[in-house]
Amino acid sequence: MSAGDWNIVLNALNIGFLQTLRLFFATLIGAIPLGLLIMFARRSSFKPLSWLMQSLSWIIRGSPLMIQLLIIYYGPGLAFDWHPWGGGEAGRFSAAAVAFIINYAFYFAEIYRGGIASIPQGQEEAGLVLGMTRTQIFFKVKLLQMVKAILPPMSNEVITLVKDTSLSRIISLQEIVWAGQKFLKGSEGVRASILPLLFTGIYYLVFNGLLTLLLAKIEKRLSYFQVR
Amino acid sequence: MKKWISLILAALLALSMTMAFAEGDLDYVKGKGVLVVGITDFAPMDYLENGEWIGFDADMAKAFAESLGLKVEFVEIDWDNKLLELDNKSIDCIWNGMTLRTEITDVTSCSNAYADNAQVVVVPKAVADQYQNAESVAKLQFAVEAGSAGEDEAKAYGFSYTPVPAQSDAVMEVKAGSSDAAIIDALMAAAVVGEGTSYEDLTYTIALNSEKYGVAFRQGSELAELLNAFFASAWKDGSMQAIAETYGVSAAIIPQE
Repeated sequence: MSAGDWNIVLNALNIGFLQTLRLFFATLIGAIPLGLLIMFARRSSFKPLSWLMQSLSWIIRGSPLMIQLLIIYYGPGLAFDWHPWGGGEAGRFSAAAVAFIINYAFYFAEIYRGGIASIPQGQEEAGLVLGMTRTQIFFKVKLLQMVKAILPPMSNEVITLVKDTSLSRIISLQEIVWAGQKFLKGSEGVRASILPLLFTGIYYLVFNGLLTLLLAKIEKRLSYFQVR
Repeated sequence: MKKWISLILAALLALSMTMAFAEGDLDYVKGKGVLVVGITDFAPMDYLENGEWIGFDADMAKAFAESLGLKVEFVEIDWDNKLLELDNKSIDCIWNGMTLRTEITDVTSCSNAYADNAQVVVVPKAVADQYQNAESVAKLQFAVEAGSAGEDEAKAYGFSYTPVPAQSDAVMEVKAGSSDAAIIDALMAAAVVGEGTSYEDLTYTIALNSEKYGVAFRQGSELAELLNAFFASAWKDGSMQAIAETYGVSAAIIPQE
């Protein structure tokens, strides 16, 4: 491919990658707090709520995200003739974001639960003896310890999320893999080539490299205290 | 808590009812003012140039929408999902060199045929001489687009084949040598393989069938008849022929009346 061709390809890949990044950040911003809510509901002493969350968690974590994307985007229109998303790129993005947020929130909730469980019961008892409420104990004693404990598994999920965004091409969201794939047959005047599709891998590698550095830095900053 | 849940359910139900008993398809599309056209990147029918969708189908779609006072929006879809997209109303029509097949015509309202097409066999140029009839190609391993007319032909002839996501992937398979041959649309083959194209060392040999292109709307939509009338007037004033000329597909276009 000529330099001019690469210009066109990189431009298309950049637009696709921007969509990938938007989906990535939207998912994190939505799923991190939602996961916390799900975790509380899951640990609730009100049993029906806890059971509901366990069933949902089984459905969401037990079925492929690709199928969930299809159901969320096409389901309402086909089942109820209700069209919340619209046909354009924005609607597809919203549907993908909702599917990713729900899916990742349930994974995050399990990680949070593990983090909470790793904190010794004695701390809760000590807090109660000192006259703290359970809410105070959670936010003032447990939360930061939990954050530290869950950082490694969360890093894992976050890195997986970057790559999982490519699943959204099933509902024709034009993220970077879609952008690369269209050059397989030649597009925008560029002759057919597999190189643009392979080159999308570089984008993922670079972005995940930066993320890994950032996460390692956060982990280091939290290492001033020990969780026991 | 319970009250809230039943309230929300009732609201959802009411919402879906009002939607279900809504107006006809023409009113629906006019109501939103945009004709959403489902396409794939498929030269010479729909393709991108300088960020704009052009091609024989794209230009005709623009003119049709304009004749109805509608804006036009092109949405790239996964060809496998085209009927799903149509029923979901995320697109209003499938207008992308679509072969009129019973699987489509049975469940949608289609326009009249506007172009001739065939399914042709794409092979490497070096071995093309050996594969000039249906018997000789029968022993090849084929790649075809999943859910395409090409797949139907491969099935009908009893060829051994692998379904791939797009016609372009099928051609790529032949180029890469992972399949011996591909079955794709003649109009596309003319544009993407052979001398002066992306795949100079490939060519196409026999036609397995002959077929026609049409545009699909939702079942019962008034838009199909309106498009037929539009085709007739565009043929009469020569604008359809002029667009065909621009994209080099004149030979394939079917006269409209």
